[in-house]
Amino acid sequence: MASLRLKNIHKRFGSVEVLHDINLEIKEGEFVVLVGPSGCGKSTTLRLIAGLEDITEGEVIINHNVVNLLEPQHRNIAMVFQNYALYPHKNVRENIIFGLKMAKVSRDIMDARLEKVAKMLELQDFLDRKPAQLSGGQRQRVAMGRAIVRDADVFLFDEPLSNLDAKLRHQMRSEIKRIHRAYQTTTLYVTHDQVEAMTMGDRIVVMKEGVIEQQGTPMEIYLKPSNTFVATFIGSPSMNLMDAKLFPEHVEIEGQRIHFKEKIQRPDFLLPKEGLPIKLGIRPDFFLDENFASRGGSLAKINNAKIDLIEPLGFDKELDVQVGPQSLKVRLDLRTTAKEGDTINLCFDMERAHFFDIKTDKNLFIHPAIRPQP
Amino acid sequence: MLGKRTLWQNCLLALALGVVLFFCLFPFIQILSTSLKHQFDWGNPSLIPIKLNLEAYQELLGLGEREEVPIPETVKRLLDNPLLTEEAKEKILSRYRSTKDVFPFPRFFLNTFLLSVTAAGLSLLLAVFGAYAFSRLRFKGRSVIRRSILFVYMVGGVLLMVPLYQMSVKVGLAGTVWGSLFSLVLIYIIQTLPVSLYMLGNYFRTIPFALEEAAATDGCSRIQALFLIILPLSVPMLITVFVYCFMIAWNEFLFAFVFLKQYHDFHTLPLALQSLFVSKNAIWDRIMAASMLTLSPVILCFVFIMRNLTRGLTEGGVKE
Repeated sequence: MASLRLKNIHKRFGSVEVLHDINLEIKEGEFVVLVGPSGCGKSTTLRLIAGLEDITEGEVIINHNVVNLLEPQHRNIAMVFQNYALYPHKNVRENIIFGLKMAKVSRDIMDARLEKVAKMLELQDFLDRKPAQLSGGQRQRVAMGRAIVRDADVFLFDEPLSNLDAKLRHQMRSEIKRIHRAYQTTTLYVTHDQVEAMTMGDRIVVMKEGVIEQQGTPMEIYLKPSNTFVATFIGSPSMNLMDAKLFPEHVEIEGQRIHFKEKIQRPDFLLPKEGLPIKLGIRPDFFLDENFASRGGSLAKINNAKIDLIEPLGFDKELDVQVGPQSLKVRLDLRTTAKEGDTINLCFDMERAHFFDIKTDKNLFIHPAIRPQP
Repeated sequence: MLGKRTLWQNCLLALALGVVLFFCLFPFIQILSTSLKHQFDWGNPSLIPIKLNLEAYQELLGLGEREEVPIPETVKRLLDNPLLTEEAKEKILSRYRSTKDVFPFPRFFLNTFLLSVTAAGLSLLLAVFGAYAFSRLRFKGRSVIRRSILFVYMVGGVLLMVPLYQMSVKVGLAGTVWGSLFSLVLIYIIQTLPVSLYMLGNYFRTIPFALEEAAATDGCSRIQALFLIILPLSVPMLITVFVYCFMIAWNEFLFAFVFLKQYHDFHTLPLALQSLFVSKNAIWDRIMAASMLTLSPVILCFVFIMRNLTRGLTEGGVKE
């Protein structure tokens, strides 16, 4: 187990800067997920840590030692690649113990570790097979076996599940969690799949265009997004962002006034008389049909939303509704009887709404600096 | 249906293929045929010998019984002369036991084999490192060097023959047999290296870089990754390149003629075959049998390449 720290990391490919001042600290045994859209620099960050790319500026610190100048083989890092990267000429057994052989581990220890890993990943029956004779899921398990057998300081996962089908991905997600629980190795896991990020990480780091947008526990990221990018990237379907105006006692959406009922919901900062134009963010899951809202009285309400489309998903229904010219995605439970073309009154808890600055896209409740100054 | 040929088209295609094949194979069939014919049969246009003659092969491979040359009576009487020293007697007898006129095929075969294996082995070794550098390392002028390497083939061997020999003489290599052999190996390496680099470089590029990165995180240095991961995956191409270099050196005549002409014992097969043509042993069945035996390693090499080139080793390692 080891701690990992990235200090003021910059990475340039020629004149293109792909990472801008990345600072990240991962504690011993922590499972951190790096998430972001394609091309945001998350894989590059991982490769810098592994030593597969040179660092333009900044420091990578593993266990309090700066490793910038160390070759990958001297960093004691295990990495699982997106495309498995198994040695095609070696069988599963040889693939798994290759790293141990390189480290000149004794035969007894090697055999013991191989047995443990093969049992954990259910690979005992495939040890003599070549990678070409395995299915995608088995190959990915071999790739993981190769990493965990080594007792490395840090595990790096580079989108390991992106090549698997949905069912297998779900299964492997649990497998990786189980492995982490068993080994407690410091892990950095890269993915573009926000479901993976939410379900697996102790902490999530959201990246965009080479910048860390926010880091925190999955629930912090989900419930307190720092800006509109994080708000819309995490969560499926993504958060609704509505044009609204913020007043001291209410929010105005398309002429409807929604009053703050509790003190805690109110903005405690100065607002212009004519109201502050904002983006109001509410997750589709936080809406309720007025007819089935038990705390109807204390909830905020948007009236007369016109239903464009209903998609029944089994346990719940996903609705596309119109509030004036603005479209919203809403997820309601299956008791809702409204039909397409009907209007519906939607309730939501104002505490779960977010107010984003229209210019900077930042959350006004999290970033005091962007609030209007007196 | 799209791409479906009629019977007539099929026949025409088969005929065209047959003609081309016959045109290519006829010289070899002719060589084989003549090598198996008796002297009285040489003028016979038929490719099938009237009576099979394996003597030429037996003689070349040293399998036949050695024919004793009878010592004439007059010479025998001369040897009985008590005044003649033992040394003088031996000198006279050696004329009748001399094997000078026999074509030492195994020796020439071994010369050619050792020279070709050395040249091919060294060429392959250099090509492995060169091709790896071209395909994996980033350095200034890489693409220019990579592309310009094939320019070596724009200058014909005949043009280079004299300057290379002069250079060899000037540095004192051509004066000794080992120096000449060294020069020859060097020339063969230079001749084969560009194509070897080209072939191996292209092959290395097909091996996913992720495998080397995986090896690096598994604790391999770059050179270990090359030897433990890249080369085992490149075995078919390594064999192909080795065989290619081997065949070039095996068949080479021009430079061998210039550098080894004066060292009869170190002649290579192409050189020896040429001297066989002009020697008093220019008997057709022997010449053709020698040609056939010279060809045989090349044919074996081709068969070997064909079998190896079809195998792909990188399958399954990386999800494309």
